[in-house]
Amino acid sequence: MPLLTAFDRQCRNAPDRPALIEGERRLSYREVMLNSERLAAHLAARIEPGARVALALDRGIDAIIAILSVLRCGACYIPLDIKNPARRLRFIVNDAVVHCIIGRGNPPDWLDTPALWLDIDRLPESAQSFYPPAAIDPEALAAILYTSGSTGTPKGVALSHRALHNFADWATLTFKLKADDRIASLAPFYFDLSVFDIFSSLSAGASVNFVPAGLTLSPSRLTAWLLEQRITVFYTVPSLLGFIALKGGLTEQPLPDLTTLLFAGEVFPTPQLKKLCELLPETDFYNLYGPTETNVCCYWPVDRARLDGDQPIPIGHPACASELKIDAESSELLVNSVNNLSGYWRQGRLTEALEDGGYYRTGDKVSLNKRGEYCYHGRLDRMLKCSGYRVEPAEIEALILQCPEVAGCAVVGIEDSTSGQRPAAALVLHPDGQLNGIVKTIKQALPAYMQPCRLSVMDALPLLDNGKTDYQTLQRQLERH
Amino acid sequence: MKKKLRDFIFQELVFVAEPNQFGDDDDLLEAGLDSMGIMRLIMYIENEFGVTLPDTEIEPDNVQSFNALERWILRHKNA
Repeated sequence: MPLLTAFDRQCRNAPDRPALIEGERRLSYREVMLNSERLAAHLAARIEPGARVALALDRGIDAIIAILSVLRCGACYIPLDIKNPARRLRFIVNDAVVHCIIGRGNPPDWLDTPALWLDIDRLPESAQSFYPPAAIDPEALAAILYTSGSTGTPKGVALSHRALHNFADWATLTFKLKADDRIASLAPFYFDLSVFDIFSSLSAGASVNFVPAGLTLSPSRLTAWLLEQRITVFYTVPSLLGFIALKGGLTEQPLPDLTTLLFAGEVFPTPQLKKLCELLPETDFYNLYGPTETNVCCYWPVDRARLDGDQPIPIGHPACASELKIDAESSELLVNSVNNLSGYWRQGRLTEALEDGGYYRTGDKVSLNKRGEYCYHGRLDRMLKCSGYRVEPAEIEALILQCPEVAGCAVVGIEDSTSGQRPAAALVLHPDGQLNGIVKTIKQALPAYMQPCRLSVMDALPLLDNGKTDYQTLQRQLERH
Repeated sequence: MKKKLRDFIFQELVFVAEPNQFGDDDDLLEAGLDSMGIMRLIMYIENEFGVTLPDTEIEPDNVQSFNALERWILRHKNA
């Protein structure tokens, strides 16, 4: 199986090297191999190759063992955000039509079919051995990552073994990962950034060091941890790096071991990036770009000499051997890449997501500068980026419109210098309609980053001449609010 | 001070059903205050109350509740 071929080689050649480090717990490559085969043996008794297995585990050693065992069985993993409201978790599990859910402890209340639950702490004591399935088709699905959907419900981005392998391999080579690298893992596994942390790291024989939960709330403790663990490579989102630049205490404790810093997911404001570059003079920075559907399709090794005032940095050159083109009329970026998704997973089956010729329409507006680098100019549709998460306003609107008190609703993004955007909602209520019920519904159905920071009741939504909602005017109104 | 903190946090950072019901010792982190929210909150506090909060003191204990925030700010305001 190409996705795990390099990892398997590391297990054979250097079985005693550290692979996964989480607090005091350390697993060598041999132990990771043994543990994942043990779990795979139990899984293989319950599922067939091609099955879908959800993970109700936090980022960490156990979740990686689970992912490796799912892939060994020829199945596909679906990482859940277990902090999501029950209603959203139930939707995803039902939409994916999963065959098994790996978790810890008793089956949670939101699970309609408790028989699907596999508790990793109570695996039956059978001594069966694991026989891997015959060769796995590279087109078989390896992961489905659920993200906010513009049709009103979350949608699953379905990624094949081929797609994950292509990206993992490119990143291992491009960033020259080595066996003595120590790579910090912070991104939750339902984010595509985690593909690097898991598969590129293990392919290189490096160690994956899990950033303890809670450190993102304390930038100086996070930098102290990076220093103490002697982290060499870190891939994360600009908003967190901006926090570190401002409040991470890097003047007192620089990070001499950090050779490579990768960032993606949102635009890094140039003044903050410049500040961080000054604080970490020996570190190479890379701006990686691409939606979950293409993973990284463009990248720019940060040229410190070109960080100038507020001038945005480019997204750079094609990555992962992607073919890029720009729609002449709309300036939309189209991507043809081996990384591309196989389709969107909807209601138990794969639906088409690519155009003829295999191009994916990103919905992002781009241009080429004089140096031939791609530059990003925002969205063509209404998608928002909130604290690094993709949020479709239409998904929030669809939920609010289900409330009987609501006659009209529109959601826009309020610009925010530190966290990208925040959703804000304008509501038109039926006579005597109250906000309480609506607020309760939002709380029960949406994760925190999707909950509007403002609910503004209006007599009517502003309209354009053609009768459609005037989102630009609405945004100005809500920003003034 | 608490009123200003409440207004800022509930209008800009955290979505709660009924702000009036949210106690001064209730858990803001549980209510959805995240790392980006904390960064904005600290910038707001430093501007609004004219204090400098040391990097090393930015941690969950100090931002957990309105009472914790007030204690933290006052320690530096009177210093």
